[in-house]
Amino acid sequence: MTEVLARKGYHGPANEEAIEAVHEELDALWEDASFVPDMDRMTFATAVIEAAANIVQHALPAADKPVELDVDITVRTRRLQARVSAHNAREPFANDMRADMPDEDAESGRGLALIEALVTTVTFERQDGTNTWILTRESTPADTD
Amino acid sequence: MQFSYEVKDSYAEVKGVGRLNMVAAPKLREVVAEVVAGGSSRVVVNLAETDFMDSSGLGALIGCLKAARQAGGDLRISGVQPQVKMVLELTNMDRVLTAYPSAEAAFGDD
Repeated sequence: MTEVLARKGYHGPANEEAIEAVHEELDALWEDASFVPDMDRMTFATAVIEAAANIVQHALPAADKPVELDVDITVRTRRLQARVSAHNAREPFANDMRADMPDEDAESGRGLALIEALVTTVTFERQDGTNTWILTRESTPADTD
Repeated sequence: MQFSYEVKDSYAEVKGVGRLNMVAAPKLREVVAEVVAGGSSRVVVNLAETDFMDSSGLGALIGCLKAARQAGGDLRISGVQPQVKMVLELTNMDRVLTAYPSAEAAFGDD
């Protein structure tokens, strides 16, 4: 595993403010990792926001504590990775895990299909009341020599 | 995200500045509903200053398109930036939400 060259994250209540905060973290990340090509930034950032928004919109609390969003993003020379977690969350409904594109007049349900189209691999883990999406995009820096 | 609109001769132009994400999506629906209720069912959403859209934003655009068509009009988009274009293409919605170079061009052919 190569060295982590840049890292950003967010932890807090899973609400609308969290989405804007994750956008800001991603913008700051690219300032620290300017070698990442525009196409990789655009696709990866979109996938991270989709995953975070999925948690804010769909994650239900497992007990009386509210769901918390945790985002941990790392940049390596050739790999962008985000661990997007919902703490204190119930297991997602099967219907919220569908990754096929809905009909064209549907107004929701495209998030997971979009995530799969944007990154190289998507994995889901559930452990101790935490649901984690791991999004990985293999990146190709412009200055390969 | 900030929205504004302007009613022109043959259409209404809705402009969005910022990120069309799950926070902004309900606001877009409200603005377009207001425009359509005001009698303008031909709507152009000018996305020239919208640098990000996620699936919630796309869902709102589809909802607005349906609202405009139900009122006898249509909804078209203009000034699409690279990230928004990518989301439209990956979801195959570029065939449904036709992108025009400018708000003027969107209803220029009819």
